Amino acid sequence: MLQPLPLWHRVDPLGALLTAVGALALATLPFVVFKANRIVPGEAHGLLQVLPAGLALACQVALLIAATVALVRFSAPLRLAVALATIAVLALALASAADALTPPGNKVVRVAAGGAFWLLLVCSGLMATDAITRLRPGPLVRVALLAGFLLVTLLVLAHGTFDHLSVMREYAVNAGRFPRALRQHVLLALGSLAAAVVVALPLGILCHRLPRLRPGVLGTLNVIQTIPAIALFGILMAPLGALAAALPWVGDLGIRGIGAAPAAVALFLYSLLPIVANTLQGLEHVSRSAVEAARGMGMTAWQVLTGVELILALPVILTGVRVVLVQNIGMTTVAALIGGGGLGTFVFQGIGQTAIDLVLLGAIPIVVLAFSAAVLLDALIEVMQRAPS
Amino acid sequence: MQRHSAYRQPTRAAALLCALLLLAAVARAGSTPLIVSSKLDSEATMLSQMVRLVLNGAGITTIDRTRIGATPVVRKALLTGEIDLYVEYSGNAEFFFNDSADPAWKDLRQGYALGARLDYAANHIVWLTPAPVSNSWALAVRRDLAERAQLRTMSDFARWVRGGGAVVLACSAEFANAGTLRALEQTYHFTLSSAQLIVLAGGETAATIGAAAAGTNGTNTAMVYGTDGGITAANLVMLADDLHEQPIYAPVPLIREAALRSNPQIAQLVRPLMESLDLATLRALNARVQIDGEADEAVAADYLRAHGFLK
Repeated sequence: MLQPLPLWHRVDPLGALLTAVGALALATLPFVVFKANRIVPGEAHGLLQVLPAGLALACQVALLIAATVALVRFSAPLRLAVALATIAVLALALASAADALTPPGNKVVRVAAGGAFWLLLVCSGLMATDAITRLRPGPLVRVALLAGFLLVTLLVLAHGTFDHLSVMREYAVNAGRFPRALRQHVLLALGSLAAAVVVALPLGILCHRLPRLRPGVLGTLNVIQTIPAIALFGILMAPLGALAAALPWVGDLGIRGIGAAPAAVALFLYSLLPIVANTLQGLEHVSRSAVEAARGMGMTAWQVLTGVELILALPVILTGVRVVLVQNIGMTTVAALIGGGGLGTFVFQGIGQTAIDLVLLGAIPIVVLAFSAAVLLDALIEVMQRAPS
Repeated sequence: MQRHSAYRQPTRAAALLCALLLLAAVARAGSTPLIVSSKLDSEATMLSQMVRLVLNGAGITTIDRTRIGATPVVRKALLTGEIDLYVEYSGNAEFFFNDSADPAWKDLRQGYALGARLDYAANHIVWLTPAPVSNSWALAVRRDLAERAQLRTMSDFARWVRGGGAVVLACSAEFANAGTLRALEQTYHFTLSSAQLIVLAGGETAATIGAAAAGTNGTNTAMVYGTDGGITAANLVMLADDLHEQPIYAPVPLIREAALRSNPQIAQLVRPLMESLDLATLRALNARVQIDGEADEAVAADYLRAHGFLK
């Protein structure tokens, strides 16, 4: 006869930690912060203080259920569903708190999420990722999950649920400039990556074939990597400006000392090292026997390289590309300081006005972009790794 | 055959490049729009947008390249001809020409004249009409304190501090360390101990004003800019620089001579606009951007329509 497990063994350690952090956050930190305008210090509000009674009760019940499911070792799918539901409940509670605190028609007050909201969000997010890790979904399922999450978020934002929240207030003011900034940001990050792949891939192959080149090439790229981004942007302004002044047609093509050009060149330079290094490493780890076999079949050197070596090295090379893409999405932020545009414009404008919500308007999309890029490329790498076997 | 096609490939690329160059040359030969730029901060952007919208209204085509960077970036862009116009502050010429000894910078008219002369001689940059205001650093105190201790000017403030007034000043590291505070102390004869200073690392005026408004750690005095939108909203009173210690930072649109020559009416279009801006107006407009969070361009357009500069 099977004895039921003692309760102690059924407690999930991660869940216990998350529940403790969540409960502590809810008890000690504000759920929302209300400011009469953008620069006065805010007043803190707890979750129960601001929500209408019925809603507050529902919210408490939802959080209690979440805590129970987190604490006890329930199945991964249930934990995932509850974690996602908790995120939805938190978001809706925040939206209704903002609605409740905003006087009708007032566009000056700012209602922002407080520490308790952010910590609870992190806890639910960790619970969800933990459940997803336990479920071991395939790459396509992970991409589908991401796409679904983004789609739901965009629909809710478009519906106007969060319009009274401070970040969305800043969005409303900057709605005209936002799509352009987003486009510039993505173009800069992807464009410099594409250019880097075109140069770094042959360079990596060359380093593999001619070991004499390695110390020089990798050493130079290493030095470039250590130059702070803002300094490199600054250094590039002078030569590009001089180039545009000397050859007006270069300037007409958009290559100037100020604007996207120095940012693109700097991002391109930063992108080289990870791709060259990973190409080299990937090629070195291609098994000798595979190469010998290909030669034995009468393949030319070119066919061996493109048909065998690069295919086998692809997952490692793509890992380098993934590093570069995530790094570029973050680093493009600094482009705003030299007229390159992008989401960094909001970040630096927000810092200048001490308007944290404006900073977040730039920062949150950057984080989402980087996270999505990482998930997408991870999935791609996994598909590639499975393909040859 | 192989060699032949390999030869043909580059020719095609060259032809494409030539076509591109031709296109670029044609684009250049057409009417060149005026490139209007600005620094990153909200006031400079709002003023540059005002100028741009007024020129647009008069039928001059402009390109909006506002908010491109900090002062050195925008300045360099103007000098290299990458932009045509932006709004600068007259007192900054003191640093552009490394000439801080000249007392002219402490007077609006003289400082403007000196800066305009130096910039034209060195760079063929024309200074258009300045707004008759100064955005220089100043101190502001809480209104309750100003009324209780009767503080209106820096001289009043110095007298109060010398008499043992319990001052706590919130300011930026730059203000405290780069000599601005020391210059004020020397001119007005007062000294603040380090216990009376709260030096904020970032040191944006929104933070110093916020500290004084909330009385954080006893803060009752804040470093501000003359045209700060937060001064009135946070119920502070700015102390007048009655001995004219600080250089004047009057907003001035700067334009490259070549760009002005192809559209000479720009000078006449900008003059009434800049002359219409006084301290109270600028503070109120800045408050709408900095405190209410409205878009700088929208506030600029509103002002222009309300005052008949734009139909």
